[in-house]
Formats: sequence, C-alpha cells, structure tokens
Amino acid sequence: MNQRTYGENETVDFVIVGSGAAGGVLAKELCTAGFDVVVLEQGPWQQANQFTHDELAVERKNEMLNTGFEPFQSFRTTATEPMQRNPGRGMMYRRGVGGSSVHFTANYWRFRPIDFKERSVLGPISGTGFADWPVTYDELEPYYTKVDWEVGVSGAPGPSDPFRTRPYPLPPLPNKSSGVLLERAARTLGLHAQVAPMAILSQPYDGRSACMGCGHCYAYGCEFGAKSSTLSSVIPKAVSTGRCEIRADSTAFRVEMSSAGRTTGVAYWNKDGKEHRQLARAVILAANGAETTRLLLMSASPAFPHGLANASGLVGCNIMFNGGSSTTGRFEHPTNEYKGHVVSRIILDFYESDPKRGFYGGGGIDARFNNGPIGFAVNGLPEDLPSWGSEFKRALRDYYTHSVRFAAHMTTIPVASNRVTLDPEHRDHWGRPALCLTYQDHADDMNAKRWFRDRTQELMEAAGASRVWNQPVLPIDSGVHLLGTARMGNDPRDSVVDRYHRAHDVRNLFICDGSSFVTSGRGQPTMTIQALAYRAAEHIARFARSHEI
Amino acid sequence: MSADQLSRRRFLAESGGAASLAWLTLQLPWISALAGCAREDARRDADFVHLTPTEARTMRAFAAQILPSDDVAGAIEAGAVHFIDRALGTPFFAEIAPLIHAGLAELDFRAGAFDATGGFASLSGVQQVAIMKRIEGERFFAEARTLVLIGTFADPSHGGNIGRSGWAMLGKEDHEMYTAPFGWYDGQHGAEPTHSAA
Repeated sequence: MNQRTYGENETVDFVIVGSGAAGGVLAKELCTAGFDVVVLEQGPWQQANQFTHDELAVERKNEMLNTGFEPFQSFRTTATEPMQRNPGRGMMYRRGVGGSSVHFTANYWRFRPIDFKERSVLGPISGTGFADWPVTYDELEPYYTKVDWEVGVSGAPGPSDPFRTRPYPLPPLPNKSSGVLLERAARTLGLHAQVAPMAILSQPYDGRSACMGCGHCYAYGCEFGAKSSTLSSVIPKAVSTGRCEIRADSTAFRVEMSSAGRTTGVAYWNKDGKEHRQLARAVILAANGAETTRLLLMSASPAFPHGLANASGLVGCNIMFNGGSSTTGRFEHPTNEYKGHVVSRIILDFYESDPKRGFYGGGGIDARFNNGPIGFAVNGLPEDLPSWGSEFKRALRDYYTHSVRFAAHMTTIPVASNRVTLDPEHRDHWGRPALCLTYQDHADDMNAKRWFRDRTQELMEAAGASRVWNQPVLPIDSGVHLLGTARMGNDPRDSVVDRYHRAHDVRNLFICDGSSFVTSGRGQPTMTIQALAYRAAEHIARFARSHEI
Repeated sequence: MSADQLSRRRFLAESGGAASLAWLTLQLPWISALAGCAREDARRDADFVHLTPTEARTMRAFAAQILPSDDVAGAIEAGAVHFIDRALGTPFFAEIAPLIHAGLAELDFRAGAFDATGGFASLSGVQQVAIMKRIEGERFFAEARTLVLIGTFADPSHGGNIGRSGWAMLGKEDHEMYTAPFGWYDGQHGAEPTHSAA
C-alpha cells in the first residue's frame, strides 16, 4: 500500500506500538485529527488476498501467531514455583498489521453498565483486585456506537441489552443451525436467545464486500475483507490521510526516555534485527496485555527500576483471560457448522453475577462448531468413541456435519498474583526475555466454569441432541484475551493509567489496549477495547491541541 | 516422484475437488478409481525421501488401521503416508521425527512375536490391531495417529488429502463460499428476523 513515510529522526506527534484492535483505531483517529503518526507493528503487513484456509499452517503451526514465531513461554501457578515451559499454548495473539482483529471470531458484545461498577454493587472480593472502572457505560456508549458504524457491526438488539443511541448499521448475519437449536433450547428452558452482534459485514458496507460464508472466521484472516478487522476497516483510512505510516516488521523493545522523565520515542528492531529508533512527542502502547507489559518491563532504567510506568508495581498484574466451558451435541440432521460465520445466536440471561449461586461470576453462552477437519479428527469426538479404525472413520462422518457446541464465556476475577513477568533464563528470537505467566484460577472462576458447563449441558439436552458430551473444565494456563495488565484507575497507587489512558508516572506516555481493563467483562473484549480506543483518541487529541501532553 | 507425476496426480486431485458434493456422492466408484491412481503412486516406495522403504511399508499398514479403506477412501488413498514422508523433513515436525522412526522400528520388532519376517506390514489385520491396542497409550501412537490424520485432512497443497478425499470422508462439501441455509435446521427455520432499530 502506498503510504507516507517518516524519517527516524523526524519527530512525529505519536508513535503507536501495535496495529491491532486498539492501535488501528488510535492511528486512524489521531492522523485524521491532523497529527503525524507512525505505527510500529512487529509482524508483516499481509493483505486480504494473502490469507488462506490452510488448517495445518494456521491452526497447528500457528503461522500467524506469536506462538508460531516464538514458541517458548514459561508458566507457573505461583511465584514460589520454578518457571517451566508452558504446558498449554501460552498467551496468544496474531503478529501482523491488524493484530488479533484479523484472526478473531468477531463476537462484538458490548459491556453492560454493571461491568463498570460491579465492585460498588456487589462489594469487595477478598484478596483480589476486583474494582470499579473509572469510566461508566454512559460515558462509553457514544464510542461503542462509533465502533458499530466505523468498523461495521451486524446485529439486532436483544431483550436486556444496554441502551444504544443508534441502531446497528447492518442487519444480522443469517441464523445458522446452531442458532436455531440454541433458540429451541432457550424457549424450552424459559431463556432468551438473541442475535449475536458480529463484526462481520452482512451486506456490502463502506466500500467493503459482504461475508461470503466461507466458514473460516475463527483463527483465519478474511480474504474478502468482510470481517471488520482494523486491517480492512480503519487502517486503509488512516494511511489515506497521508499522515500515518504503518511500519510493519518492526519489533519495539524499549520506550526511550529523556532525563526529564518524558518519552522521546521507541527503539525497535527491523526485520533483519537492526536497531532503529523513532522519535516522537508522545508514545502510545497498544501492543496487547502481554506485549505492552513486556515492553514496559524491558524499559526499566535507573529512574524506573521496576519497569516504566510501574510505580504502582501493577504492570503485568491482574491478568484476566475470560473463563470458558462448553458442551457439544450431535443432532439427527446436518448442521454443517463449517459453513458461514461462527456464531449467530447467544444467550445473555446469566450475564450478571447472582449471589444466590454462592460465587462471583457471570457470562454468556453462544452456539457454534468451529473445529476444522484436522482438529476435529484429532480430538473432536466424544472420548468413549473409538479413536481409530473403521468405527472411528464412521463416527467422523456421522459427527462432523451434525455437531453443535454451546460455549459459555465468562468473567475472571483480577488477582494481582496472576501476572505476566519476564523470564530471566529464556530469550526469544530477538533476544528479548521470554514471557512468563504466573496464574492460578480463583476458586470462584472454577465454580463459574462448572456452573456454566451445567447450563450448557441443560441447553444441549433441551435442544434435542441425540448425544451430549461435555468438554472438561480445566484451570487456565493459556489464553487469547490478554486483559488487565496495565489497569485504569483514578488512584496512582492501584492503577497504571488514568481514566484517559495516560500513564500515571509519565506524562507523554499512553497505554490503551486490553491491558487497560479493570475487570474482565463476560468474554468478548474487543468491542470494549475499541470503544476505549475511540474515547482515548478523542481525549489524547484534545490534550495535544491544548499542549497538555 | 517427478514433477510430471506430481502434476498428473494433482491434476486428478483438482479435478475431483472441483465437483459439487451432490455430484460426488453419486460418483463414488469414480472417486475410488481416482483414489486407485493415488494408491499406485503411493506404492512407489523409491519416491520416499525421509522414510526408508521398510518404514514406509510399516507406516502404510499403521495408517490403514487408523483410517481403513472401505467403500469410502481412507488414509492410504488420501496419500497420508506421502504426506508424512514429506512432513518429517520439515522444521515443524523435526522434533517428532526421531520418535516416529523409532516407533516404526518398534512396530516391526513387535511383529516378530507373531513369527513374521516381513515386519508389521506382513501381519494379518487382526495381528496388527492387537499390537496397536497394546501401544495405544504411548506417545509414538498419538503422534503417528495425528500425522495420519493431518495427512488425510490437511489442505492438499501439503501432499496429502489427495483429491480432497479426506474432506469427502467427513461429508464436508468443498467450496470456497456457502450461502444460507447452511444446515437442515436453519433450512427449516424460514425467514430471518428483520432488522429492527433500538
């Protein structure tokens, strides 16, 4: 793509680290507001026509993900244990322009008013970082609406949705068999299945193609540009202003500081491992909850001995992944879930935490079956069926086109000891310390997963499945939602950034991505990441214009 | 395998994949014929690069027990063994390559208990199954099984899933795009809800 380029010694207004859900929005908003912006993206700049349906490359080799590029991460459940190789897949995100908005499923649930004030409504949870947000739903609503209309979201209001100031810009995507079955189950149990809001175009929109139903949303890039990634929505607009350079294959490793305690730019490696430095008047980190943490910790200096912007000691702490549990069922007739978008209906009746359950936790349930042929054959069948031989082969055929999964997505509680740190022993491809995750599920989170698994089982039975089987409820060692590691707050003692995403400790450093979250929401964070990014961009532009940076 | 042979096989494969499912399901004998061509290719042991001819025979027997050939093409017709041969020479599978080589030798060694001189492949199906049941819990079995499944169901560009026969085995239609209704239940469901404003 032709774009304006900036010299490294040219001091731009903003350098943004990361081009994903948040970075893409921030770039587009700030350059549209008249500022010069350079975006540093560690991965390549793939175009839509370079995306494939190759399951071996995408889902097993993880060629688009950090874990395909840098396989080693360490893990321990508590800080007193030795670090070991992560037994799971680790903290995952997509490397490349558009970040994880390219390969995600595109569920676009808004948070509800309760998400922002749950601590006040429910009271404290002992030993945790459970807290209110410094923003409210009312404050964020205009930005949720902006996301709907700017990136393109398809949907229709549900019975207990929070208020919205504008309707969805696009009608719902077609209902799938999984959605029809979830509706059937909900009716039987007195619940409500509603249209799933999806960041996928149900009709042509804003010069982009509608969804062609290829069936490769989950984990893949959309070759039609119908998935509303920042790659296909806002980044082309940012570049077309002539005030934004997307510098791909550029891995940031240090936020540079002046002796006066201000950032002066970002040091990075280019594709060949050569060191470069981009000067800027202000720096915005939007690299996701894991990489924003690594960059801040790697930017430690005598003035910031525990990592940049880490006077609170909370950088990397309180990581939240969102819990999950699920039940699968086989149905008499074909469901053919491998066609089309992933999710068409959701149940949000259990969104709020209910003290009567005896634990904190709430969530939503969707209907899907997003196993590719390899993944399905390797471990998609019920465990009591043969795993090889003629019966196995018959079962593959009987189940692949006839199965549906009801998947629950839910809260995780912020706990300071659940954190991302730097592994002192292992280095990555570039020589950066490997990511280490210390994580132990809060007892309530395990209870929530089990409780929701019982609900998905009831729903699957109510849907009339001829065979029902649960996926095991497991503790977390890996995840794709990387939330809470540089949390927002009004008090510098218990948060990393303020309500406008400015680092408490560094006046011209902003942090805006999943790391900003105070609580986890119910499992679909990207819509809120982008609403925060639109809001942050507006305030950051205001500060810049009034020389308050 | 020469480039010509490869392109011939791929030509046959692509021809099969371009057909619609409805047509395919009516033409199973034709698919079998196509699979037969692939089988002939797969039998050319000299074409193997990373498996010795002995290992290839053993792997083929193992793969044929994982996804047997019956009225529907199995792992052999899908070219899973050729896929595995190629895969073992790639960085992604390098870590398990020694395990696979050792495990195949172990299968042949275990065949000795049945007084077989031709290794695992020379055993009867019942004998092969008996050995495989004994090692089901071992890492070699899991990794070799996974390789067979990848070779059967991966994108054909990797050398297996010839003629997209793996996807046909699952009953999966093979198109780049689909339009609703996708399945039986949404087909019965009728009209979609209309767009409504808040």
